[in-house]
Amino acid sequence: MAKILIADDSETILLLLRTRLEMEGHEVATAVDGQGVVDKVDAANPPDILLLDAMMPGKSGIDALRELRAAGVETPVLIVSAHTEGDNGTDHADLAIDGYISKPIDFEALFAKIAELAD
Amino acid sequence: MLTGLAVIGVARFLQQRQDYENATARSYQREIVARNRLAQGRHPAAARAAVISQQRRRQELRDEISSETRDTALLVGAGLIAGLTGAALLFTGLISSMRRPLEDLVDASGRLAGGDLDTRVKVGGLSETATLGGAFNEMAEELQRRAGERDQLDRMKDEFVLTASHELRSPLTSVQGFAELLLLEREKLTPKQAETVEVILDNTRHLVRLLNDLLDLARSDAGRLTIRPEQTGATGLIEDAVRTMRAQLDARGQELSLEIEPDLPQIEADRDRIRQVLVNLLTNANEYCPQGAKIGVKARRVDAEVEIDVIDDGPGIPEQQLEHIFERFSRGDAGETQRVGGTGLGLAISKSLIDLHGGTIGAESTPGEGSTFRIRLPTIASNRVEAI
Repeated sequence: MAKILIADDSETILLLLRTRLEMEGHEVATAVDGQGVVDKVDAANPPDILLLDAMMPGKSGIDALRELRAAGVETPVLIVSAHTEGDNGTDHADLAIDGYISKPIDFEALFAKIAELAD
Repeated sequence: MLTGLAVIGVARFLQQRQDYENATARSYQREIVARNRLAQGRHPAAARAAVISQQRRRQELRDEISSETRDTALLVGAGLIAGLTGAALLFTGLISSMRRPLEDLVDASGRLAGGDLDTRVKVGGLSETATLGGAFNEMAEELQRRAGERDQLDRMKDEFVLTASHELRSPLTSVQGFAELLLLEREKLTPKQAETVEVILDNTRHLVRLLNDLLDLARSDAGRLTIRPEQTGATGLIEDAVRTMRAQLDARGQELSLEIEPDLPQIEADRDRIRQVLVNLLTNANEYCPQGAKIGVKARRVDAEVEIDVIDDGPGIPEQQLEHIFERFSRGDAGETQRVGGTGLGLAISKSLIDLHGGTIGAESTPGEGSTFRIRLPTIASNRVEAI
């Protein structure tokens, strides 16, 4: 099972994600903003997957990812966005994003994506 | 001025006529007095001479008045002709000096009506046309100002809908997520509790659908509804949509027949968006048709297009509703929509999406017999449209 770091500025959504992911047997760490993500990722021992909310106050998920990528962290990333496809604007091709998850979350699709990335 | 001359002439003629009649009347009176004297035998020689003299006098008056009348008539005629000629010349000048500004105005009105709100006319010439031109420019100014305000309001509305649907999405994610979580432990819930959670979930999904529809509509209005077309097979897309709908169709005991021509050519389409349109059409058929209805999907090649029909044998759509069916918030009749739910936006969005693909969508229906919705999508890669 995978080590997953999730970040969202909503405590409720963090609780939901953590509960569902732990029920699936994953090991979950959480952060409430982009800075928390940067702080919690140990470049030497990074999580298997990052699940980041695109928009958070302060440092966004995208900003945090940009910093991590610059520091050489190559962990697979899923971006959770309140926008549905089409509003993500640029594809951030330089950030090697592995997929977008839109809200409300389709958990079956999320689990499938995680299984694919954790392999 | 020459017209004035003619008027003076006429006045003079009338005065001469009056003088002539007065003089003639006096001459008759004098002749009558002379004739009385003659009849009474008083100074007969002088009386006879007076009668003759008065007759001669009237003859002179007649000669005089006719020559004067002729002169006056000539004067009046000359005056009139000169006056009319002058008026005609003046009128021609007036017309030509009005015609140009009026033609400009007609031209400018046409451009304004055509949407060119920058249109203005040159103000000048006669005071009347200048006033008209000034009024036209003021009107154009006002129209432009109002159009600007309206555009700004539209932008604010679009931004509001985009922001609102974004902000609503997070709490909805929680509601739906936790309701799903509860249902995962269904065995620990009483039947009543499980049913309650299902109601919450149903309504949450409905809200999400409404939100997605509103978002698509706002995007469409803001010119931000986009498609990502790729070469794809129509057959797979149709089968996908049917698979998505299978459970709902089965739940109402509706029979679905699929008739897809073999070897359909590839189309250039955004798979998710075309699937969305097909699912929307099938959802409508599913919801508006009674239990056990027959629903069919047919696809075939027609010239350079793939034609997809979604056919049902349901209640059909009255003609006056059919005309407006692709307009937003156009719904079936009130009784039906109470039962059916939905947002009244699905077909409007479907139309926007098919338009973006360079295709067409239309509907035919016979009340009591059923409806057919027909999509046509081009097979040739000629529609790389990114936004409307």
